[in-house]
Amino acid sequence: MDFLMTLRAINRKIALLVGLLLLACAGFVLLDIVARQLGSSFGGTDEISGYVMAIATSWGMAYTLLELGHVRIDFLRSGRPPLLRSLFDILSMIVLSGTVVLIAIQCWPVLALSLKNSSTANTPLETPLALVQWPWFAGWLWFAVMACLTTLAALRLILRGELEASEAAIGAFAEQETLQ
Amino acid sequence: MIGSVAIGLLGLLSLSIPVGIVLFLLGFGVDVFFSPFPLIKGLGNMVWSSSNSATLIAIPFFVLLGEILVRSGVATRTYAALDRWVSWMPGGLVHANIATATMFSATSGSSVATAATVATVAMPQAEKLGYDPKLFSGAIAAGGTLGIMIPPSINLIVYGFLTQTSIPKLFLAGLIPGIALAIAFSVAVMIICLIKPSLGGERRVFPLAEMMRALVNLGPIILLFMMIIGSIYNGWATPTEAAAVGVAGAFVIAAGFGGVSMQMIADSLYGTVKITSMIMLVVIGATFLNFTLASAGLGQELEAFLAGLGLSPFGTILVIVMIYIVLGFFIETLSLMVVTIPIIVPLVVEMGYDPIWFGILMIVLIEMALITPPVGLNLYVVQGARKSGNISDVMLGTIPFALVMLGMVAALIAFPQIALFLPQAL
Repeated sequence: MDFLMTLRAINRKIALLVGLLLLACAGFVLLDIVARQLGSSFGGTDEISGYVMAIATSWGMAYTLLELGHVRIDFLRSGRPPLLRSLFDILSMIVLSGTVVLIAIQCWPVLALSLKNSSTANTPLETPLALVQWPWFAGWLWFAVMACLTTLAALRLILRGELEASEAAIGAFAEQETLQ
Repeated sequence: MIGSVAIGLLGLLSLSIPVGIVLFLLGFGVDVFFSPFPLIKGLGNMVWSSSNSATLIAIPFFVLLGEILVRSGVATRTYAALDRWVSWMPGGLVHANIATATMFSATSGSSVATAATVATVAMPQAEKLGYDPKLFSGAIAAGGTLGIMIPPSINLIVYGFLTQTSIPKLFLAGLIPGIALAIAFSVAVMIICLIKPSLGGERRVFPLAEMMRALVNLGPIILLFMMIIGSIYNGWATPTEAAAVGVAGAFVIAAGFGGVSMQMIADSLYGTVKITSMIMLVVIGATFLNFTLASAGLGQELEAFLAGLGLSPFGTILVIVMIYIVLGFFIETLSLMVVTIPIIVPLVVEMGYDPIWFGILMIVLIEMALITPPVGLNLYVVQGARKSGNISDVMLGTIPFALVMLGMVAALIAFPQIALFLPQAL
């Protein structure tokens, strides 16, 4: 359980950074609107917001996973005895981990191609794509690693019969809490 | 293919696998079984291009805006002010619930956030003033659903993104149906409370001077709405930029009411990141599924399927409405929207219907899904804000409002202009 707490704590810090990145981006967009009204513009805010969104999305995924934020339909699951519920949970974690690992693997060629060709974006900024795709790819890789670690930790809890702890780690989301 | 995907969808969802992941799995399935060439090679590019989006960054901005307003005490003031203005009607404070929800819908892009906000401030009043909990809480759950209809709306952004329809036009299209629904909710409450006054509460009339003073507390929210919507339609800003304007506005309002602190900002950011990633996993999964379905020839199959059914366009729309009502009982709403868009919207457009009109029709159906048990998030959110009582109170209380929504569905089908008038006129 301590191990899972550590993962949670790390991802909370990352989430704060991601949030600040988004906040900074909002500020940047705002400045651009003002600049435009004054007759000039930085140009490229759209492009930069896109990159910010891609990076924020990939790095927020693991945090959301550990806070049980990824939405699941639990009408079959809810109301079952704890052991059955934990089987639902571990099954969905295994499937999720496998899928996310596959996604991370498939994301690599996108970055690899940009690296190989030193591709730049087809835009006025001519951003070197690798520069923004590195952090994006790293986020998905991080999500894959976190998902696998969480699955293993939860599996261990279930095998030891600590079903309450596993429910807290990988159960279905607590509705009111997630949605403020 | 359509049948296999639909069955796979329901099967995997009911195993409680996260919705976004289910969409990826279905995409893999379509790739393996129905596509002549391997599509998985496109997965990385799909993930990159769907999240590298200046349109979608409006989602975290609108979420953040809502979080700031919720955490800064603006809601309490708005509720008190609207109480002064609408509680003279039969039903009393129930109308303040609807009015506050409507007003928050105009600054919030999410129904759940709207319902949560109103429930937190309204529920203590219900207990204090001795209201019957059913209609009172039902009005909050139903009023909260307006969050996704009245612009800005996260669901309309996602719809516009996935169907490539204009988001400003969708926002305009949602305005009249949203306000009409709010008015219809209030009328329904009035009628119910005239027939059975015990379901409502005491009607309260406030002196004019007090009503005028209350306006001060409404001003900031109205101004924020005008800033967001105005900047889009004046051509100053895209929906994304307007969302950034909204975030700044929300900070100013919160600061004006003395509600800004480091803790509050941090909490708002945590909430924003969590909700954004949750939405984006579903959106990216849907983009991938969209791509595989289109590559595997969904278009031709749909045409053949439609021809085989031999239904008129009108008949098809009725079938679609039925499907949404039934699925709405079981599936969480954003997921319901996102998983059905790839299949249903091409079909509807194929038959000659306007995608903007259908987007609004879909939103009404999604609103219904939000308040129909067993899976109706707003029911749980409102129940969560109550200190006691059973959730069945909330469920019973939403029935009249669900009927009003059904009426709106019929009205939209009979008179598409309700949605299309504004986007065509402006």
